[in-house]
Amino acid sequence: MTLTFIRHELKSFWRSKNTGKTVAIRIIMGVLILYLLLNVLVVAFFLDKILEKSFPTQDLITAFCGIVLYYFLFDLLMRFQLQELPTLRVQPYLLLPVKKNAIIRYLSFASLQSFFNLWPLILFTPFIFKVIKHGHGLGAAWLFMVAILALTIFNNYLSLYIKRRSNLNGWVSIGFAALLVLLGASDFAWHVISFSKISFLYFGHLLTQPALVLAPVIMALVIYYINFLYLKGNLYLEELSSRKTSYKSSTEIPLLDKFGQVGDLVANEIKLILRNKRSRSALTMTLMFMFYGLIFYTNKVYGDGWKVFCGMFMTGIFIINYGQFMYGWQAGHFDGILVSKVKFRDFLKAKYLLFTMVSFVAFILTTPYAYFGWHIVLVHFVMFIWNIGVNTTIVLFFANRNYKRIDLSKGASFNWEGVGATQLLLGFPLFILPFVIYGPLAFFKHPDIALAILASVGILFIITRNYWIKLLESDFHEKKYKIAEGFRAK
Amino acid sequence: MIEIKDLKKIYAGVTVVDVPHLEIRKGESIGLIGNNGAGKTTLFRTILDLIRPEKGEVLSRGENVAHSENWKKYTAAYLDESFLIDYLTPEEYFYFIGGLHQQTHAYVDDHLTSLTDFFNGEILNKGKYIRDLSKGNQCKVGVAACLLQNPELLMLDEPFANIDPSTQIRLKNFLKDLNKSRGITTIVSSHDLSHVTEVCERILLMEKGKIIKDIATSSGTLRELEEYFAVS
Repeated sequence: MTLTFIRHELKSFWRSKNTGKTVAIRIIMGVLILYLLLNVLVVAFFLDKILEKSFPTQDLITAFCGIVLYYFLFDLLMRFQLQELPTLRVQPYLLLPVKKNAIIRYLSFASLQSFFNLWPLILFTPFIFKVIKHGHGLGAAWLFMVAILALTIFNNYLSLYIKRRSNLNGWVSIGFAALLVLLGASDFAWHVISFSKISFLYFGHLLTQPALVLAPVIMALVIYYINFLYLKGNLYLEELSSRKTSYKSSTEIPLLDKFGQVGDLVANEIKLILRNKRSRSALTMTLMFMFYGLIFYTNKVYGDGWKVFCGMFMTGIFIINYGQFMYGWQAGHFDGILVSKVKFRDFLKAKYLLFTMVSFVAFILTTPYAYFGWHIVLVHFVMFIWNIGVNTTIVLFFANRNYKRIDLSKGASFNWEGVGATQLLLGFPLFILPFVIYGPLAFFKHPDIALAILASVGILFIITRNYWIKLLESDFHEKKYKIAEGFRAK
Repeated sequence: MIEIKDLKKIYAGVTVVDVPHLEIRKGESIGLIGNNGAGKTTLFRTILDLIRPEKGEVLSRGENVAHSENWKKYTAAYLDESFLIDYLTPEEYFYFIGGLHQQTHAYVDDHLTSLTDFFNGEILNKGKYIRDLSKGNQCKVGVAACLLQNPELLMLDEPFANIDPSTQIRLKNFLKDLNKSRGITTIVSSHDLSHVTEVCERILLMEKGKIIKDIATSSGTLRELEEYFAVS
């Protein structure tokens, strides 16, 4: 039975519309994954050197034993954020004559095929076989391997178990997060407990007492069994799906009333962003990017050119990140929009208004960077103008060429749905254009003139916005059938 | 009201809609029937300018729907859930649609009160987004949004499919009333022959993209259609 499940799983992967169909996407995906893997491999192979540098007073194995537990705590936190629950896929099997135990075993097995279960092995294996085998023999190395594997599996099922529980009760997730923060604080801030000591206590003794290896193995088995029992008791559709039922109230955004129909459209889109998982993460990303400047402005190595770069990203990340998938966000009701009385001109104006508003808020949020000099705020302002003038128009131009729908209910992490050639092409003008203007002038020591030109071009685009809207509108009428057809294809 | 000339839509070499000529006069109530794949929904979509036909044109009040957007002012349609903005609550959706037609919230509320029976207490003030409603209730939202627009042309694709018997009867009464007393042109597709023959005065029967029968409803129509669909 499990084999049949696996075959179905493979089919669902290869036949899914989101498995990057175009060659370009596959290549980019492959390169990205390889790059990540390479990074981890480099860290893995030089772990001994890194540990030597970071803990010069301790011997290597002591240092290593001290960090392992930290890794697994961090791993737990990341899993809790990013790992997806393998759930709804079992729906079609629930009413077939398949034993519940078989379904659950399969569900549990399926959850193991996650990158998170690969990292610790890649990260620690080279060190174990280089250093520990050298110092304490092959047996000790394998003991370490087993312990790390068991901890990985323990983490895997623990995070899934907590996620499943928090689906039914939101407080579980808050409680768990609080516990992790508390544990972190009691180590780093209050120094009540030290994970480094605990970690060493266990792994240090593992070298002399091989029987200790049973502890993580038993832990892994126990949590697997708990997870198994929990799933068995709750294998009902409504509990598997991650839908929470709370009262949804209607809201209005009074400020937008002033803009008439365009305002209504913006209000709808704001609701879209806030009420759906994937779009919400685009907004969260925008807020995270507000800290982007700290990387560059705290370090004197980065010159003035980086301000242009940072300013564009911090005030415009929403335009780039959310705009690249337009109008795919609205794929679910695109037919409705086309048939309704909404004029496409208003539809476009609403996009401009939304971008302008979010960008403005982002600019206001970046003003505290004045701490690093007022010039930064000036550059940010220039790039804000550039973003709402030029970049919005570029993004909307490409939106007319995007035929891929987005399923709003899916999470954003590792989600390649909606990614196509459009997104890749979009990157070039967005990233290169400002530097085509800024680069040469800055090189000849006229960065101020460059900024003035950037600002003027931005303002020019804002003034001529109606002209661009007209162009985009006629362009859209040419392509709307293809867009609508693409959005209909689930 | 609607005139179709020489219309052809081809998907991957297969002609899915082929209508040389069809005229729908103002105030007519049309029932569109045919088995799955006969081309009913595709015909609806071409009339609503959602897909581009390979050949021919659709005129609404003499204007090609692909060139002018005037038809949107007097046309309301509900084909499937993709016409609904599913992350809004039904109330927000109605206010939005009403707003497009310059209707105030008070006006919309007033109109919704007249639909209390139709909603049967399942739609308003339930604290749910449209995506969390059942298919039948989503259909109610879609139909109600159409009625809210006071259209002159109303197009519904299989509206009876997911709704409960009481709502079916109410919807039939609505359709008859809209057509008789307000002269609204209605085009309704359905797989339920008795519903269509009851509501519509003119029946179009589609098969493989072609309209093969165009009959005015009479007492014998139901029998005639049942004979056509009967499997031997």
